[in-house]
Amino acid sequence: MNEERKVSEELLGAFVDGELVAAEWALVAAQVESDPALREEVCRLRAVKERLRHAYASPSGRIASPRRAAKPGWMGLAAASALFALAGWFGHAEWNRPPALDSASAYALRGDWHSLRGDWGSLEGGKVLVHVSSPGREALGAALDEVEDLLRESDRERRPLEVEIVANGPGLDLFQAGDTLLARRLAALKRDYPALSLVACRQTLERRRARGEPVELAPGVSLAPSALHEVVERLRAGWVYVRV
Amino acid sequence: MNLGIDHLFGPGQALRRDIERERGMLGRMAYAWCHDAALADDLAQMAVEKALRAAGQLRDREKLKAWMLRILANCLKDHVRERRDFVDIGSIEETVAADEPTPEEARASRELVRRVRVAVAGLPFGQRQVVTLVDLEECSYAEAGDILEIPIGTVMSRLCRARRALREVLEPVAEDTLGNRLRSVK
Repeated sequence: MNEERKVSEELLGAFVDGELVAAEWALVAAQVESDPALREEVCRLRAVKERLRHAYASPSGRIASPRRAAKPGWMGLAAASALFALAGWFGHAEWNRPPALDSASAYALRGDWHSLRGDWGSLEGGKVLVHVSSPGREALGAALDEVEDLLRESDRERRPLEVEIVANGPGLDLFQAGDTLLARRLAALKRDYPALSLVACRQTLERRRARGEPVELAPGVSLAPSALHEVVERLRAGWVYVRV
Repeated sequence: MNLGIDHLFGPGQALRRDIERERGMLGRMAYAWCHDAALADDLAQMAVEKALRAAGQLRDREKLKAWMLRILANCLKDHVRERRDFVDIGSIEETVAADEPTPEEARASRELVRRVRVAVAGLPFGQRQVVTLVDLEECSYAEAGDILEIPIGTVMSRLCRARRALREVLEPVAEDTLGNRLRSVK
């Protein structure tokens, strides 16, 4: 197993960064799937990416400056996310339980729709958790597109499917009642597909309110104590996890 | 479709607003590059001003972010050309150490943030730029290459070396410091 590596470090990095085209991707994915050591590498690479992102998520990175003390919410989120990242990536080693992530969901991490679609046929149980935490209308719109495709496809093929969208941080914009286009799309999806649930992170909500930002959630959105909590629960229950 | 109105009348209101909106992103990136909050603000401000002046040159609105990051990278390059002492790892340690006491969780997280920043600050500058563009802003390799004006092969090898170095520093931290915390997630 330790002989010559089949996948170079660069290639594996490109895999994790979503930089491979379909053919290359499938090749690497097949090897990752069959090689636990490689899978561990993928997890570790993702963990480094995630940590880096968290370390610079606050504006200009002034986490310690007294002048910016008016930004109370951020560290809580970072803590949650850091814990979550670890729970997701090292969790199976720590928890002495069956792995929370199955082989399919390991690829589906971090918004890798392409891989999720590829693995979709082999999914057991059909439970997908879509975690929306990044800002940007385009990302949110794209996430909705994918969710809609998944729902429609399973409906057509009469495959049982449960999808939950959990939103926190900037991703909470997805559930804002005020944003008419997104809100309308969500309402339509929810109406057509009862198996879709929408869950907002209470901590994000409270943080926004504490900052004086008005938050009004679209109808049909329920609250979880925190997105972290929700994600960990779902992962342990064997849901496939997709981060957007 | 761009009907050319921007070219006739200067950047339209919408584009101006979009440019302004990237200020936070630029500030974050500049900070990750130079680790100096005041300088990062200045650089972001400079880049926004330049972008507003040069908005007519932006062909493809979709590429606004990459275009602005490229302007930012050039602003930093100019700055470095003038004076070379902009990275000060010590100051990162100090600002974070000066923190008031906080709940345990926030402190642990802050510690992690600090370690990551110190690790990033320890990277050679070229590696630091590539890894932050790809990981913080999710730039594609092609975009990162464009922004920094280097070939994709260089992007990939710098990225690879940066990650190897970061993992060497950070992975023991995850296992020692945060291994305990993880169990409390249950």
